Formats: sequence, structure tokens, C-alpha cells
Amino acid sequence: MATTTTAPKLKTHVGERIRRTEDPRLITGTACYLDDITRPGMLHAAVLRSPYAAARINSISIEDALALPGVKAVYVGKDVESVGGVPCAGSMPDLRIPNHKILAGDRVYYVGHPVAAVVATDKYIAADAIERIEVDYEPTELVSDPEEALQEGAVKVHPEYPDNVAFTFSQEGGDVEEAFRQADVIVKEKILVPRLAPLPIETRGVVAEYDEGAQELTIYSSTQIPHLLRTQLALQLNLPEHHVRVIAPEVGGGFGSKCNVWAEEALAAFVAMELKQPVKWVESRRESILVVAHGRAHVDTLELAAKNDGTLLGLKLHILCDIGAHHQLLTPIIPTLAVLMLPGLYKFRSFKADLIGAFTNRAPSDLYRGAGRPEATYVIERMVDKLAAEIGMDPAEIRFKNFPASTDFPFNSATGLQYDSGDYATAFNKALDIVDYKARRAEQEAARAEGRLYGIGISTYGEICAFGPSPATPAGGWESASVNVEATGKVAVMTGISPHGQGEETSFAQLTADALGIPMDDIVVVHGDTAKVHYGIGTFGSRGISIGGSALHLALQDVVAKATKYAAHMMGVDAETVTFEGGVFSSEATDSTLTLADVALEAHLCRQLPPGTEPGLAATRFFEPSNFAFPFGAHICVTEVDKETGEVDIQRFVAVDDCGRIINPLLVEGQIHGGIAQGLGPAFQEGVIYDDEGQLLNGTLMDYSIPKARNMPWIETDRTETPSPVNPLGTKGVGEAGTIGSLPAFVNSVVDALSPLGIEHIDIPMTSQSIWNAIHERSRT
Amino acid sequence: MIPASFDYSAPETLSEALQLLGDEEAKVLAGGQSLIPMLKLRLAQPARLVDLDRIPDLNFIAEDNGTIRIGAMTTHHQVESSDLLAENCPLLAKTAAHIGDVQVRNRGTIGGSVAHADPAADYPAALLALEAQVKLVSASGERVVALDEFLVDALTTSLEDGEILTEVHVPVEQAGVATAYRTLIQPASGFAIVGAAVRLGVSNGNVSFVRVALTGVGSKPYRASAVEQALEGGPANAEAFAAAAAHAAEDVDVLSDIHASAAYRASLAAVQTRRALEDAAGSA
Amino acid sequence: MTLKGTYSLPARRQKVWDALLDPGVLARTLPGCKSLEAVGPDEYRMHMALAISSLKGVFEGKVRIEDQQPPESYRLTVQGRGKIGFVNGGGSFRLRESEDAVTEIEYQGDVKAGGTIASVGQRLMNMTSKMMIKRFFTALEKELTAPV
Repeated sequence: MATTTTAPKLKTHVGERIRRTEDPRLITGTACYLDDITRPGMLHAAVLRSPYAAARINSISIEDALALPGVKAVYVGKDVESVGGVPCAGSMPDLRIPNHKILAGDRVYYVGHPVAAVVATDKYIAADAIERIEVDYEPTELVSDPEEALQEGAVKVHPEYPDNVAFTFSQEGGDVEEAFRQADVIVKEKILVPRLAPLPIETRGVVAEYDEGAQELTIYSSTQIPHLLRTQLALQLNLPEHHVRVIAPEVGGGFGSKCNVWAEEALAAFVAMELKQPVKWVESRRESILVVAHGRAHVDTLELAAKNDGTLLGLKLHILCDIGAHHQLLTPIIPTLAVLMLPGLYKFRSFKADLIGAFTNRAPSDLYRGAGRPEATYVIERMVDKLAAEIGMDPAEIRFKNFPASTDFPFNSATGLQYDSGDYATAFNKALDIVDYKARRAEQEAARAEGRLYGIGISTYGEICAFGPSPATPAGGWESASVNVEATGKVAVMTGISPHGQGEETSFAQLTADALGIPMDDIVVVHGDTAKVHYGIGTFGSRGISIGGSALHLALQDVVAKATKYAAHMMGVDAETVTFEGGVFSSEATDSTLTLADVALEAHLCRQLPPGTEPGLAATRFFEPSNFAFPFGAHICVTEVDKETGEVDIQRFVAVDDCGRIINPLLVEGQIHGGIAQGLGPAFQEGVIYDDEGQLLNGTLMDYSIPKARNMPWIETDRTETPSPVNPLGTKGVGEAGTIGSLPAFVNSVVDALSPLGIEHIDIPMTSQSIWNAIHERSRT
Repeated sequence: MIPASFDYSAPETLSEALQLLGDEEAKVLAGGQSLIPMLKLRLAQPARLVDLDRIPDLNFIAEDNGTIRIGAMTTHHQVESSDLLAENCPLLAKTAAHIGDVQVRNRGTIGGSVAHADPAADYPAALLALEAQVKLVSASGERVVALDEFLVDALTTSLEDGEILTEVHVPVEQAGVATAYRTLIQPASGFAIVGAAVRLGVSNGNVSFVRVALTGVGSKPYRASAVEQALEGGPANAEAFAAAAAHAAEDVDVLSDIHASAAYRASLAAVQTRRALEDAAGSA
Repeated sequence: MTLKGTYSLPARRQKVWDALLDPGVLARTLPGCKSLEAVGPDEYRMHMALAISSLKGVFEGKVRIEDQQPPESYRLTVQGRGKIGFVNGGGSFRLRESEDAVTEIEYQGDVKAGGTIASVGQRLMNMTSKMMIKRFFTALEKELTAPV
């Protein structure tokens, strides 16, 4: 039945600063996070962890713990031997993967290694019972420092291997030796990139429930990858995957730390199946800092060859990555990303990189926001600055000189990547204009004349994201999306990505609202439940909008095509004459119009559909990009260092980012701001400290310092928009850009400030103490 | 991060609190900004907490004959925003504004902080410079003790079992005395790596009155008498301040930890003392 | 963490030496020592309950006296384990009699902690270690100067 009502003209949503539809439930406390979940008869688990970095376990006495009223069970390593180990997706030929049991066997390998689990009727009893477990540890020799781990005769973390090499990886492009022969100048530096605790505001947690009748295991986990977790849990527990359902409830941040498969997830599942009662485990903040795979953990040695005119010729890099005692899901893969992105935005002609992953008696390391790219960007941006200083060239000029031109794209990097699109000079010029670079240099000169330490730090960064083509990713690089226009005309979007703060419930609704001409309020974006959405890969590597959003884009196109066909049939006109705009179908061949809701209802009533049509108005599509996307940008930081105290005053911070086409500028700015905070942290405050006994020394937020509001500079943001050709939306991704781009700007600024003292490099975190040390040592000599 | 179990009492009068404190394993809760984390880490496992939060008589700021009395349960925020203190003891108010963050200042109390005796707490620097006293009450009586004597060592005071710190006493600031507090904080905890509090009176270009106290440097906050002696009666100028401030960590066994070496702390002690002297001189 | 320092005791060196190696005196002077029981020559099992303000730690441990050069020097190692982690310390003590009947003890040692205390207590480690040493020497001084 055709109607003649005209839907109100709806404004477009894409490109608008639309507030997050997620926020009302988050800020009113009505969202359901993992620890908000209760199930009938639910038990609570707590995990006992090793205080030793290396020890043999002679015996474990659990009687006292079991005797505590309310304690249901205590599990040690031998009880859970049937459960498969924690998986690792690495695939280098020489990769060594020691058996990563979910509870320690007869040895512990790092402080925090899970040794036993208590299950009790409440979490307080579980915590008390943990203290009643007696473990007879026999401490053994250990190695904590990654450089020591690779020395001849070092203590072996895993005695079954001949040394502590976990894997190696090499890559070479061009003739690097020739480049070094031709060089006028070679600069070298050893740069430490310390371990960082990912510190999501919500720690990890899992609730496991087993329905014995249906043989169905339901896992609620604070995860970024519900489907991948389902597959891995099915393998670990030897269950058919269709009997495992994974639900990611509201997830309070991940920063990559929840893009993993954790021992505690399988442990909770095992316990729920054993006891036939639901069980919850929620990680404490202390556990989170201690054992949630730390990011970075590099010792990098670089050599850069160049001409006196600033032309970059070749780069040699040696990465030593401290992987800890065991692999987590992506441990060996992350540092290879650093190798791939090491040429940064520059036209290097040659390149040679060697990477060694070293076992140490420390907690595993793995991905953390930026994952490999912050390490790469930091070291190359430091080296370019060092070269500029060495040859007396302005650090801005040397960058312009080595950028590929905007007409050079797609641009093949020295490491064999093909950068999709870019216009580096335009973004950089914009940042220089905003900060008024010439005026700042003049101000610097005046400051230096007064003996003040004033610095201007530049970072022109590039990153690889929107993971990615499947052959180049460990777990499938595609994504799924389904659109279902319900009989009432409301729309459900189901996506395989699993947002945990990125705001895709909003941006996906924007895409849908524009494609279907309906208000955002009529759209729900469903994610994070393997029983509700089609298999997907998840949210990490700045892939949500580019891959998940593109799949949605395709599904929306299918729905519109279907609906147009039905509308034409309903109006009795040729489909070619039907246009769809603002949610209304019309045709030059008739005066009547139809809304999407009219068509959706008919699609469900099936009274006048074209012959052979299946009912409903829905579509499911998949998208896999032909290449990664390569966002870029320029960050500039102006600082003044207090010579006497080592404190740094950040006077300006300018961030011009290009993440391709933008769906929601508000979300993009939010990501940039948060990202910059996580570049500021490692620059000035953060870094896990281990002593030579493998003890983690700053294990609380009283000692591990993350940025607070008072530490944040005012951020001046702007952007350029260079669409990506590798996906239909033209987006590139922005989840990690701020973290990747900002760190080198902070460090280059401080080093620039300190350079009149002859200081050429300072390792991060640049605490007031370490800056004072650097100044003090100089003034002494 | 779950404490061991304990009993909890929230008496509404001081005498009730004193009675409850008779339990050997009882511990006073006075804001909890240091104690609660210790409980959660199970580094402290008292059998009972006696929460003073509901005793209205312990929350006040009053002036009486040139002495300002501050109830133990007065929060840092109340100290920071008190008109009476802004007018009559500005050093204490401005020091309170440096403590922790907004949340800590809303919960933490002056009595809790002083009795906990954290060697890097902000208050003791100001309070020592002010020659403050503390009132200690027990079931058998009360005594007023100079803060200097009250603070024995890191986390150690002369508070006896069964005693409660009920008041902090500071003098109304003298006319012509300007004050300043300078601190450099450890960014994670917000505690001072070094904090320097100064009271300075200048007449005819010379120092007529000076009190300097530091926190964070050694295992207990202290009056920097060497600095005071170097300044007393001498010129109030930059050179004199710098020369005197160089004595700020003299004879102090300077702390060293993962956040700040002893050398850095000692250097900061001199710098912050000098700057606080300059601030005070500049505001006089 | 390295600790070093000196402490002067108003007693002759031999008397100080005897006291330092007397398990009875050790039991009374080692901070928090609740019991000390010999398990071998110069080796003892110790039960310790350390308390600083509201902080409390119960440790079971071993004390060993090594490298004795009477009455000049020796080495003391203490190992303790408890629910909040473990502490291992070792240090050398050197005794010198200066003026009449004053003995100066020079000590130098390392303290290493593990588990909870290591990862949450760094801010307090340095000051509490110093305090423990001070408590030890203060108690020792009391022993030495107590009327017999």
C-alpha cells in the first residue's frame, strides 16, 4: 500500500560532531560492566601468584584454604592439566613457544605467575583463602634484564632451550652497506623503550557459566575479541565452538590488553564446568599492573646514514624485545610491526633490521596502544632529529626534504609496505603554521640568550592500521556486518567488531542513518555477543571504522538495493526510475512515495513482493581491504625545562592528524586527546621498573605514574583529510595516532631544550629526576 | 585488593571513641587516605577500625587568643578554603591546597595526616614552620605536645596506645610575616619529593623573622635551623637566600627511592627553599 | 637497596662483639624478633612480627652469622618470608674501638624484597630499612648499657 506522506528531510550525520550515544548509560552508571554481572549461585575466584621470578614449586598445601568456611575448591597446576595452554599466534620459523600452562606446573617463571586458584562463595572469603595456601618455593637462578639474557652463559629462563632467544626476525631492503659507504654522515644511538602497563580503567574480568543440559558454556569477558576468544577457548577446553558463547559486556577500556586470550578465561571456564556453578573472577589493580602484558619493552640500536644535505640513505636497526617468560597471543608479532614502520614517512633507499625476542624472568609483554608503531616512530623521529643536529639543519627542513611528494602515492616504503595515500607536507605545514614555527625559533633564540632551556620538538609520524588484508594478519583481516530493517522500520546493525570506548555505536549509527534516511534513534548497533552477531575479528589496530564500517557500508548498500526493488514493485514502476533519499522512495513515474518503514513492513508481510523474493529486509556483508591504511600527521611540542629542578613546562602542543575521511570529528578528537595522554605518560612518567631479581617495583598507582588531568597540556588540534583508496569509506583509523605521534614530539622538544648543554639524547621516561641527572652530569663535566 | 576482615565502629562522641580504642588491635580511621590502601594491600590488618568521621566535635576551625585550633577531622579542603585561615594563617591554607588531589582533599583530614606521620606529607612542613602543637587525648587525660616532639621518625609518633590526636594548634600569623610553600611532587602519589615551607619577616631590608621547614627529604620532616640561622638578622636578598638555602639538607640522612635519589632530593631541598624564600619576600 | 652507616656504642669492642653474637641478645634486639631458635652453628630460625605504625608484617625466617673475624668483623644474613612477600638482607659489620670504651660499628649491606612489599612498598623501603637499623642499634645500646 503506497502512501503519499513525505518524510521530513533529514540532515546528514556523517561528518558531524555528534555526541556519543553510548554516554548516557555510562555517565549515569546504568551500563553493565563485567563486575556488575551476577548469576544465580555464582561463586568467586581469586588467583594466588608467585612472589618469585624463578622458583621450583616443591609442594603446595591447600588444606588450610579448603578448611575455611565458604571455600568450594582450590585448584593447582596438576588439576587443570587437561586445559590447553595460553595460545600464541606467532609463526616465525625459529619461534620457541614454551608450554604456557594456565596454572604453573612445577616451576614459576615470573613474579605474578598464577600458581593456584581458590573458588569461594564470596570474593572476601576467596581473598582470605588465598593467604592460607602454603607454597614451598625453592628460588632458582634467574635473569631479569633482556640484554643479560642474551649474553653467553646467561641463566636460562626455560632450561629446555639452549639459550634465551624466543625468536628472530630480519628484514632488508635496498643495498644498505652501499648506502653506508656513500654516507657523508652516520649517526648512532641506543634507545630504550621501557615496558608500559596498559592500565585500562576497568581491569580484566570473566564470568563463566555452564548449562549442563544444553552443554553450553557462556563466557562473559572484558575482551576486545569475543569471537577469537570463543575459538581459542573451544580449542583449549576441547569443546565444539557452537557450545561456547562469548559475551563482551560494557568494556571499560583495553588499549590492546584485552586483545588477548588469558589464562584466567580458560581457568574460569574450567571451574564453572567442574563445579557446575557460575564463577566470577575480577582482576585487582595490583594484578593488572603486575601481569597484564606490558607494552613496548625494547632496547633499540640504530644507525642512520645520510648525505650532508640531509638526504636519508640507509638505516640499520637492531631491536631487542624483552618478551618476558611466556608468549601471549601476539607477543612475537608486535615488534615486527616496529620493523615494518621504522622508515616512518621518509624515502629511505635501504634498510636492514634484525629483531631478537629474548626470554626473561618477567611478565609477558604484548600489544599496547600503538603496538609496534610508537616504538618505530619514536626511534626514527629521534634519529632524524639527531641527524639534523649533527649536520646543523633545521629539523623541519630535513623532514620536508625526505617526504615522498603527494604525487608519489601509493608509495613503496623501504620495508616493502605500500603506503596508500598521503600528503605529508600539507599536514606538516599546517602544524608549523599553527605553532608559528619561525616565531617559536626566534623565541628560543631569545630564551637561550638568557640561559633558559626552551625546546621545540617535531614529530612527523605515520602509522599502519585498519588491519588488514588477511594474508598479512594472524587471525583474519576481514570484518562482518549485518543490517536488519525490522517490520516496524527500526534498524538493528550487527557488527563483528567489539568497541570498548571507541564510540562505534555512534559512528555506525551515523553511517546507517545517512544510508537509510532514518534518525539515529531508530538504530541500534549490536556487538560483543557471539550469539547475536556474525563471526567477526574484533576491535584493535584502529580497524573498527575502516574494516567494520566498510562491511556495514556494503550491507547498507545491499539493503537499499533490495528495498528499492521492493518499493518499485509496490509502486508498480520500474526499479530504475526509483530514487531513495531522506528515507523516502519516489519515482518520476508516479506521484506516490514510500518510506523505508512502509517497505520494511511489506518485506515482512510478503503480500506484494516481487515473485521469488525471500522475506525480510536484511543483508550481511563482509569486507576485507586490499591493503592497510596509513594515517599520518605532525605533532609539535614547545617546552621549557627548569634547569634547577628538571621539571618540564609544556607550553604548546599542536596536533595535526590525517586519518582519512572523518565520520565524526568529535570522536576523532577524543581519540587524539586520549592518545596524546598515552604518549605523554611514557614521555615523562610511565615505565614499569624491574629490579635484577625480577621484582616489579612500581606495582601500584602510588608508584606507577600515569598522566592526570593536571599533567595534560592544552592540545591544539587540526586535521587534513586524505581519503584512503583501500576501503569504500576512505577512512584510515585514529585509535592509536595520538599515542604514536606525540611521544617523539615531547622527547624531541626536551632534547632540543637541553641541546645547548651538549645533551643529544635522553631516555624515557624523562622524569624530573632523569632530566636533572642529565643536566647535572653535564654541568659537572 | 581486599582487606582482611575487621570490625568497624563509628562512634559519635570522643569518649566513646576512646573507649573503643581500648582494644589492643584497634586503629583510628580519620579520612583513610593512607590507611585504606594499606588495609587493601593487607599490609595493615587491624582487628577494629574506629572511624572518627561522625564525631562533630572534631571538625572545626576556631581562633582563641592568638591560637588557632583545628579539629582533627577537619578535611584538607576545609583548611584550604577556610576564610579564617586565609586571613590568619595563610601558610597552612596554601599548603593544604597542594595535598594530593581534589578527592584526597575532600576525604583526608589534618589529624589523620599528622598522626600518620608520612615523611613526605605536605602538612608537617608548614606546621613545623608554624611551631604547631598537637592535642592528644586519652581516657586518663590530655596533653599538648609540640609537633617537633610528636614526630619521632617515619610513620612513628609519640602517640600512646589509647590516645587520639584531637586538635592541631597554630599561631595567628604575625603582622609583617609573609609565607610560602614550594613543592615538587612525585607524580604518581602526589606526595612531596621535597616541600619547603617558609615564614619570613623583613624589616629595613633585613630578615627579622624566619622559619623554614622541609618535608620529603629525610625520614621525618624537620626545621631547617641552619638555614634560619644563616638568614636571621642578615640581608633579605637573593644572594643571602641562595647562600642560606644551600644548608637546607645539612646533617640530614637524605632518603633515596625509585623516584628520587638522595642527591636529587638534597639539591631540590636547596632550590625549593630558596624559591620559597623568594616567593615569601616577593609577597611581603 | 644498599644501606650503610656507622653507629657508636658506649662499650668496649669485645663486649659489643659478644653481645652481637649472643643469640639471647639478638632475639631481644633484632626488630620484631619474637623467637630465635638455633638450628645449626651460627644459624637460627626466627619468627618476626615487624610493625611500623599500622603496617604489620609477620615473617618466618633464617638468621645466619658468617665470616667471623672476632672481634673485628662478621657478616649477618637474614631471610624472611611472609604473606606479604619476602625480605632478604645481608650485611657486613666492622667493629672499631675508638676512644676509651666506645666502639664504632660500621655496617654495609643490601636489602632485597619480593612479592607485595617489593611492588607496593618502594616509597617506604628506604625509610623503614633505616628505621629497622636504628631500632636494632638502639636496642643493642640498651642491652650494653643496662645495669647488670
